[in-house]
Amino acid sequence: MPIVQFDHVSKVYTAGDHMLKALDQVDLSLEEGKFVVILGPSGAGKSTLLNLLGGLDTPTEGTITVSGKDISKLSDNELADYRAATVGFVFQFYNLIPTLTVHENIQLVSEIAPNAFPADEMLEKVGLLDHRNNFPSELSGGEQQRVSIARALCKNPKILLCDEPTGALDSETGVMVLKLLLDMAKDYQKTIVVVTHNQNIARMADVVIRVKNGKIRSVEEQAAPLSADEVDW
Amino acid sequence: MLFRKLFRTAWGYRSQFISMILMIALGMGIFLGFNMEWATIDYDTFQFFDNTHYADYRLYTQEGFTEEDLEKIVSIDGVQEATRFLSVNLDVADSSRSLALDVSEDFNVSTFLVMEGQDYDENADGFWLSDKFAKTNGYAVGDTLTLIFQGSEISGPVLGLIKAGEHMICVADSNQLMPDYTTFGFAYMSPEKLRMILKETLLKEIPEEYLTDEMLQEAQTKAYAQVHLLSDMGKEDLEEAVGEALGKTLMVVPKEEHVVYQESRGESEEGKTMGSILPVLFLAIAILTMVTTMHRIATKEKLQIGTLKALGFKNRRILRHYTSYGLMIGLIGSGLGVLIGFWLNHFIMSEDGSMGTYFDMPDWTPVIPKFCYPVMIGTILLLTLISYISVRKQLLGSAADALRPYTPRKMRSIFLEKLPLWDRLHFGTKWNLRDLSRHKSRSLMTLIGVAGCMILLVGGLGMRDTMDGFLDLLDHDIALYTTKINLVEGTDPAEAKALAEELNGDWESLSGISLGGDTITLDILHNPGQLYRLIDEDNQQIDPSDEGVYLCLRLKDRAKIGDTITFSPYGSDDTYTVKVIGYNRSIMTESVTMTDALADQLGLDYSLTSIYTSTPASDIPTSDLIAGKQDKSQLMDTFDSFTEIMDTMVLLLIVAAVILGIVVLYNLGIMGYVERSRELATLKVLGFRSPLIARLLISQNLWLTIVGVAIGLPAGVGVLKWLLTALASEYELDLMLGPLTYSVSILLTFGVSLLVGWMVARKNRHIDMVEALKTED
Repeated sequence: MPIVQFDHVSKVYTAGDHMLKALDQVDLSLEEGKFVVILGPSGAGKSTLLNLLGGLDTPTEGTITVSGKDISKLSDNELADYRAATVGFVFQFYNLIPTLTVHENIQLVSEIAPNAFPADEMLEKVGLLDHRNNFPSELSGGEQQRVSIARALCKNPKILLCDEPTGALDSETGVMVLKLLLDMAKDYQKTIVVVTHNQNIARMADVVIRVKNGKIRSVEEQAAPLSADEVDW
Repeated sequence: MLFRKLFRTAWGYRSQFISMILMIALGMGIFLGFNMEWATIDYDTFQFFDNTHYADYRLYTQEGFTEEDLEKIVSIDGVQEATRFLSVNLDVADSSRSLALDVSEDFNVSTFLVMEGQDYDENADGFWLSDKFAKTNGYAVGDTLTLIFQGSEISGPVLGLIKAGEHMICVADSNQLMPDYTTFGFAYMSPEKLRMILKETLLKEIPEEYLTDEMLQEAQTKAYAQVHLLSDMGKEDLEEAVGEALGKTLMVVPKEEHVVYQESRGESEEGKTMGSILPVLFLAIAILTMVTTMHRIATKEKLQIGTLKALGFKNRRILRHYTSYGLMIGLIGSGLGVLIGFWLNHFIMSEDGSMGTYFDMPDWTPVIPKFCYPVMIGTILLLTLISYISVRKQLLGSAADALRPYTPRKMRSIFLEKLPLWDRLHFGTKWNLRDLSRHKSRSLMTLIGVAGCMILLVGGLGMRDTMDGFLDLLDHDIALYTTKINLVEGTDPAEAKALAEELNGDWESLSGISLGGDTITLDILHNPGQLYRLIDEDNQQIDPSDEGVYLCLRLKDRAKIGDTITFSPYGSDDTYTVKVIGYNRSIMTESVTMTDALADQLGLDYSLTSIYTSTPASDIPTSDLIAGKQDKSQLMDTFDSFTEIMDTMVLLLIVAAVILGIVVLYNLGIMGYVERSRELATLKVLGFRSPLIARLLISQNLWLTIVGVAIGLPAGVGVLKWLLTALASEYELDLMLGPLTYSVSILLTFGVSLLVGWMVARKNRHIDMVEALKTED
């Protein structure tokens, strides 16, 4: 049974008289434990797809089922609970709380996630235990993204959603972050969905989904995905 | 094109712009309103005094002034004009009303303006009546007015309705706080009418054939117990010159010590004091809000500024564009402020305004003090300068620098983190504490806003409490009589004492003494019936001792208990030295109080001024010793209009406090919300529910409110104390704050803070998580 199922999902944005169809009748299913990359040019609808899956937004029509639960018609509070328990986010610009230390940024999620891991365990995994009392502004971009990954995984979510996770990093740091992301997902047996326009990342994925003009153009399963080290950056 | 951008950007930041405009308008309005109030008092009352030849000096003698005395006084070098003057309080027949009846013999000093009816005529047989008294009591020109004069009725037609500088604040005596035309007014009559009345009075005792001109002149001399004069001389010089001219020392009272002039100056001074506190508070908060807000707007506009720079716009042009925001706010805010100022001034200083009951004058032209113009221009320039400085910071460096997004200050540990308790704190608490420390100016401004709100509430409500307490004290602890009888000036003490005994009453004698060169009232009190009591600093009753005198609290620094003071009664060269045995809270006059037994021991010559009795006014037999009777309830009623004015002022202060609180807190709340919107979106994405996030936001507001209240409460009490000294020192008011004032002030401040907190926090429900997380921090 797929962990994620999109059935005839559309998302329409309206601004005055103008209507923009960001997603148009999308059908999609994702298997548990896979590393999925969604590729597409700017404005293709890939971020919309990720936002709908992450419970940041609701579809205009269609249903989205995650772990057998329909999330397309949840209330604000139910969506918040869904985000707290089921999904973890990693953003391009890390989105750490600047007034909380590294440890506090991770510890924070234990307030809402029912099955959270200990913050220090996560910090150790991402190799930043020594920086637990630093503020985000005292870390490099790569380190901040590692904290962000630790925070996302600390909730023990079923799915890890990453929006251009290496977009703000240099290639060397980017490889390191991707490697960490994959290792952690493997260790904790998580499904990872990465949205990017970087073709190279796609070579590491189990499944590559190409999106254009709000529609899914192709879904390609890769029998032998490359590791981060093997990808030519 | 940039001009269009100016308005569109302003619309984009509308809540900040509206807040700033409101604060400047309020600050400027209150500044102008209060300063216009005292300037209008100064200008209009001085004009009125000039037009009615308000006397510079009043000379008093119990024996009265002869025509020769007057000639001698007029011939003093430096005296421009002088007239013999009579002013006596008389009851209106068949009513509980009384009025001050004046005669200005030469009608060149202490005159009046006719508002309706016949002009002044020195031979006319009738009265010129106060137009306000006439209107209140249904008199019109041509009606007959009957007064009780030395037990007999005198009457005549109302010839005209007038206003007089002498009675611009129409009170029966200094015990009456506010004019009350339902019970007391004033009238003038001609010297010829006085002569006729005196003649008739004499004819009751002496047959016409024995009545000589000398007898009549003697009666006139006795009646004219005052000389009013216009002179630029100093008090001491005039005293000396009068002493030389008449060969005796007289009581010389400059206009500064006359109740009308003194009270109007007092009002003006109060206005100046009010004009220096409230507006400063509002303008300061407005300017600080402007600094904080313009800085935030400039940092938010950094990318736009960079873009304009990259497009080739010169720094000067960009500066001009952004500086015009401050100018625009300044101009609109000041424009609205001028309107508020005029409205506020009209609300206070107009015939229909709150001072309309107090001052009886013909012209209420509003006046703006000259210094207000540079202050207004200066404020607008300052606001422009604030915009200029805020934007100039963003323009420093290259176009590429300007295009880089604004980087907030790096987070540093705060001192609280060293405490062992820190680790146990909830993340929200840590988040809020660090946020407060990171945005110090925003936090400080919020504190100032809350404390300001609290100060205004405690000040306003506390003033009302204190006044209530004072009235309660007066009603239940000081004045326990039913009727106060004002005795005719110069009444024989033995006869007056006999009347007091007959009425089972207490009595007092008020007279002027010189204490260290200042005119002070000597209060000789005989109060075995405890109908009129002395109270000490702690509002406890004093059983007056014959061992020495009591100084009122205002004279406390003149002598310690056990010290002696030396005084000299006016009209006498004798000096008396007495021991100070205590201090009393004098409710009205600056006074030295002693018992009649001590006065007799010292051999002081005095006549009784008033009798306090439990007998109702209607049961008091007619006597030619009695100049007027005043029910205590009438006296207490005169405070009603005063408390009404006070209630209006309190309401204004509460409205100002609530507006101040809402505007400042909302503006800062929105700024804080916008600054933290990314963090709030992150929390939401992580799975925090909206109500939990709202609680985080409100709790920060709540902490600041607690600290603000903790600062504002004692500050409010301090400001109130200062205000009482500055505004009402003549009443020696004791600061009294009831539990209701504390609770209402605290609850209202928390209410405002929570309301604003809720208004801001509920916005997080609609925060666009996707949008907020898109861009780089």
